[in-house]
Amino acid sequence: MPAVATVTVRLYGAYSEMAGARKLTIDGATVGDVLDTLPSKLPGLRERIRDEQGRIRDHLNVFRNEVEIRRLQGEKTALSDGDIVHLIPAMSGGH
Amino acid sequence: MAAKKVAVLVGTEKGAYIFRSNASRTRWAAEGPLFPGEPVHHMAYDARDGKSVYAACNLTWGGPKIRVSRDQGKTWKVVSNPAFPKGKVATSNAWVQGQKFPVPVTAELALMRTWHIEPGHASQPNVMWAGIEPAALFRSDDKGETWTEVASLTDHRTRDQWSPGGGGLMVHSIGIDARDPKRIMVGISSAGIFESSDGGKTWEPKNEGITNPFEPKKRSEVGYCVHHMVAHPTAPGVRFQQNHFGVLWLNNGAAKWDETSKGLPDESMQFGKHAYGFASAIHPHDPETAYVVPLAGNDRLAAEAGTAVYGSKDRGKTWKRMAKGLPKSARFEVYREGMATDRLDPAGIYFGTANGEVWGSADEGKTWAQIAAYLPPVMAVSTATI
Repeated sequence: MPAVATVTVRLYGAYSEMAGARKLTIDGATVGDVLDTLPSKLPGLRERIRDEQGRIRDHLNVFRNEVEIRRLQGEKTALSDGDIVHLIPAMSGGH
Repeated sequence: MAAKKVAVLVGTEKGAYIFRSNASRTRWAAEGPLFPGEPVHHMAYDARDGKSVYAACNLTWGGPKIRVSRDQGKTWKVVSNPAFPKGKVATSNAWVQGQKFPVPVTAELALMRTWHIEPGHASQPNVMWAGIEPAALFRSDDKGETWTEVASLTDHRTRDQWSPGGGGLMVHSIGIDARDPKRIMVGISSAGIFESSDGGKTWEPKNEGITNPFEPKKRSEVGYCVHHMVAHPTAPGVRFQQNHFGVLWLNNGAAKWDETSKGLPDESMQFGKHAYGFASAIHPHDPETAYVVPLAGNDRLAAEAGTAVYGSKDRGKTWKRMAKGLPKSARFEVYREGMATDRLDPAGIYFGTANGEVWGSADEGKTWAQIAAYLPPVMAVSTATI
């Protein structure tokens, strides 16, 4: 079980607008912990991060520092003090 | 008629709008955009409480939300989404890259979009229904605050034969019988029509009489491309649908749909005499009167130069072109939820176009006037008669 770290969450585009914030400091041992805690800090993100089945929603990319978490250990990716978790909406618009 | 006000509820690809008028329906006050940037596939007013309005919002980033207003659209809140039980899987056909036709795919079910929200029967004032993609029906017993899957439809014995239409595989039409709250009908693209006579415990395909020119010699239970289906609000058992292949009526107790495409413009015909289109509405008081916007099957624009609503007052025996006041050359496109009637007498008819215009008639189609223009593409039009 990784140790709890204090990290920064940065929100971009639609996620920043829904949250009403662009940056937040939060505690969590893993990326999944941070995603679970975020809606309690920023209620505008309730049900916007995970779908009804608990999966990270389509069109949302999550990074730990410079690396997208699917290339790490997914939601189980461990965090260290000072890490930055980025929530970036995918480029998925247009007809 | 005691009603004094009408609201036209308009869902667009980028938010929703409400247009309000009095019974004259000549001047309209605009409100919106509500939920800016969010595709709104449908809005529904609940005449049973006279207050609630529902909106099916399907934002790309952050996922779908159902919003509810309890004050006729002035303020809104988010309610729970329809949610399948975790881990539930189902098999149906899906488009797969490299395949010419949809192929069977088994996948865990998760809400993609809410397509239609329907108030329940008058005798069940807290019941609401929601049709979603992937194709499933959800029921609420608390005015939309929470939703429960109608698993008997999701798990229907024919599901592995269901294929998506161009818009996906979804429940997009819900018809509640005027008399019997246990008689429920849904339209699924492109599986067809399903009917329950026991409140949703069991379902049977109800597609007899519907042509499928792709397989003219084969009568299958499912595989019928319903585009939009409505139940008459006061006449028990009467249903009306615009199908990919024709316009059809169902009488109370009838085993078969009757196709009534004759008299609709030739240019809308595809595979013979089957009128094409999506939007369709039934008269609020007269079960033999209905309206469609015929489209050409090849480009899905109005079937002729100049957009027109076609109306029938004799259950589809004859159709009349109703275009006075509408542009004479523009070929509009109107989506499946793009037309509705109000409950006044004479009834108002309204439709919205893919190029962002809303048109209305306060005299049952004799004359038309523009209510709004320069909106985002209109996906859904519904009404509240208050």
